[in-house]
Amino acid sequence: MHTPASDSSPIARLETVSKYFGIGSTTVPALDRVSLGIRRGEFTAIMGPSGSGKSTLMHIMAGLDSPTEGRAWLGDTDITNLGDTELTLLRRRRIGFVFQSFNLVPTLDVRGNVLLPFQLDGRAPTPDESAWIDLLLTSLGLRDRLGHRPHQLSGGQQQRVAIARALGTRPDLVFADEPTGNLDSRTGREVLALLATAAREYGQSIAMVTHDPIAASSADRVIFLADGRIVDDRARSSAEDISRFMLSMERAA
Amino acid sequence: MSRGNELPRYSSSREHASGILVAALGSTFGVGLLQATGFLTDLFDTGGGGTLQVALASVALVFILLALYVAAIVTANTFGTIVAGRARSIALLRLVGASAHTLRRSVAREGLRVGAVGAAIGAVAGLAISHTALRIGIATGTLPDVAYRAIDPLIVLPVAMVVLTTWLASHVGSRAVLGVSPLQATGAAEEPAPGDENRHVVRLVFAILLVAGGTGMLALGILLGLVSPAGIIVAFFGGIASFSGVVLGARWILPATLRLVGRLFGRSSPVTLAAANAVRYPERSTRTTVGLVIGVTLVTTFAVAMTSYESFLFSEYPDSAGDPSLTITIAVLGGLIGFSAIIAAVGMVNNLSLSVLQRTRELGLLRALGFTSPQVRRMILAESAQMTIAAAGLGVLLGIGYGWAGAQALLGSLAGATLVLPLVPWPLVAMLIVGTAALAWIASIAPSRRATSVSPLTALAAT
Repeated sequence: MHTPASDSSPIARLETVSKYFGIGSTTVPALDRVSLGIRRGEFTAIMGPSGSGKSTLMHIMAGLDSPTEGRAWLGDTDITNLGDTELTLLRRRRIGFVFQSFNLVPTLDVRGNVLLPFQLDGRAPTPDESAWIDLLLTSLGLRDRLGHRPHQLSGGQQQRVAIARALGTRPDLVFADEPTGNLDSRTGREVLALLATAAREYGQSIAMVTHDPIAASSADRVIFLADGRIVDDRARSSAEDISRFMLSMERAA
Repeated sequence: MSRGNELPRYSSSREHASGILVAALGSTFGVGLLQATGFLTDLFDTGGGGTLQVALASVALVFILLALYVAAIVTANTFGTIVAGRARSIALLRLVGASAHTLRRSVAREGLRVGAVGAAIGAVAGLAISHTALRIGIATGTLPDVAYRAIDPLIVLPVAMVVLTTWLASHVGSRAVLGVSPLQATGAAEEPAPGDENRHVVRLVFAILLVAGGTGMLALGILLGLVSPAGIIVAFFGGIASFSGVVLGARWILPATLRLVGRLFGRSSPVTLAAANAVRYPERSTRTTVGLVIGVTLVTTFAVAMTSYESFLFSEYPDSAGDPSLTITIAVLGGLIGFSAIIAAVGMVNNLSLSVLQRTRELGLLRALGFTSPQVRRMILAESAQMTIAAAGLGVLLGIGYGWAGAQALLGSLAGATLVLPLVPWPLVAMLIVGTAALAWIASIAPSRRATSVSPLTALAAT
């Protein structure tokens, strides 16, 4: 699904979003008036040390959590005040997830997991979608594993199933939360290459939360967060540059 | 092992509420029943030297043992579920050096406490209920106001038996502790790999031998029964052996039954997932349902045997029709047997709730991926319904078989060496259907509430 380059409106957007945890005097801001647009067809990395607010940022953009102040959009949809059912349908149809711990449904085999979003929607994939899923399964090397259950697969294979599940519905935006966190470095690099390919060749918008400079270096754009604020927003960078910046952030703190 | 060596306990009152309730029910039943036999002795056995009480208490003990047997199976399975839910913390303790046997002993000690608390509650409840019933009987003039004993010393028996069986059941149920690998604490294992297949093969062979041998003995008892009522004795042991085989092999029989029942529910996604869940973990669904299978089998066996016996009596001795003492006897015995089924039902509800509560993460994932709250609720209800229907259905079929075999072995010769048709008591079947539906619904309440109150976020964060 190619998106015209002229379409410059962001696929997801936050407008002066703040998120506070706790109540009364113990309130801690996890996000502090953050404004941000995720561009269509790009692979964006959101970086920051633990506690920087990057997970909260992702949760709000994905409709898993709601901001205390400010507004959040997915495409043209204002998702700030959507109810539980609307958010659930939004996640089902317009958002894909890849988690650190894979999070496949243990009772379903590979095919069942990849088709789960369609099953949740109570429909079969259209011929067009089926062809896309076939292409995904082939290019992810899962063709001969369709009947396997998650526990019969290696970590890398499980994560590829999760990627196929996330890309299968061609969602507006795929969120990847530390997708390489549970993988060895070689498998991790393969997974990153797959995500980068999905963005470059199929125009899939991807937002990846990570604290790994090597993972972030495969993204088109890197956003740095510290103490709930965006401290830097730069184009593709080398792992060395990203590490250097992270270290300088640590020293400044 | 000294007190200071006590391992950290994770026992939440929620986890053990079910075990305590089952122990308390068993103890209430036993204490109440024996106290009642004491009252009857005071009433009828004036100066008889206690032979009446020995006879009454012996009959009562049969029913108490039956109820405690079901309670023990239910409790063992509840502890199995609790241990499965604690696998990660057990693995962590193993990782830092706790031995599996120490951990298992610590779980069994929890079982001892559960048994003690439940037995004490049941003793008080049993005494209170029997005395209240007695007072009501005297007040309404149904019972004469003679000197009744306050506490029958025999009630020590059921109290002690409840403590011991609960302890034993928790020990048996905590067996899974031994299979937890310290590696599970590192998060490397998403899901425990299938267990030791050799052990399963041995178990399967035993189950098949018991079922085959027991069925053979049942058939022999029926044949003998054509000549002499003593056939019932052979059939009785055949029934026990074959049913033990069914219980032992429940891990293979119940998933197959569940798969069959699952097909009846249609193909919507909550239902398909529910069916997959029920079948995916044979141990889990077996733990949840086996108690109910036993309870329903007992009740049905008894009811079918009694109905057949009653109709045989009526056909042979038309005078006996409508004899109130026969009707009352059957009703009382039915009530006593029914108590086992109630214990089984309580155990099933708690076990199912517990096992669904342990799946917070899985439910959170489904919510994150786009399962709406009503869909999750439907999935849990479907799962609960499939399990109760499969368990109750299997129990009814087995019960009809056993009940008929018993009636045939006992009455075959008396009826002139012919076959007696199994008589199915339809009111009972109707009651079972209603009871099963209610059970499925009740069992799904707590997990449904939990599933809809947990946000996908917290569930996924619970790594």
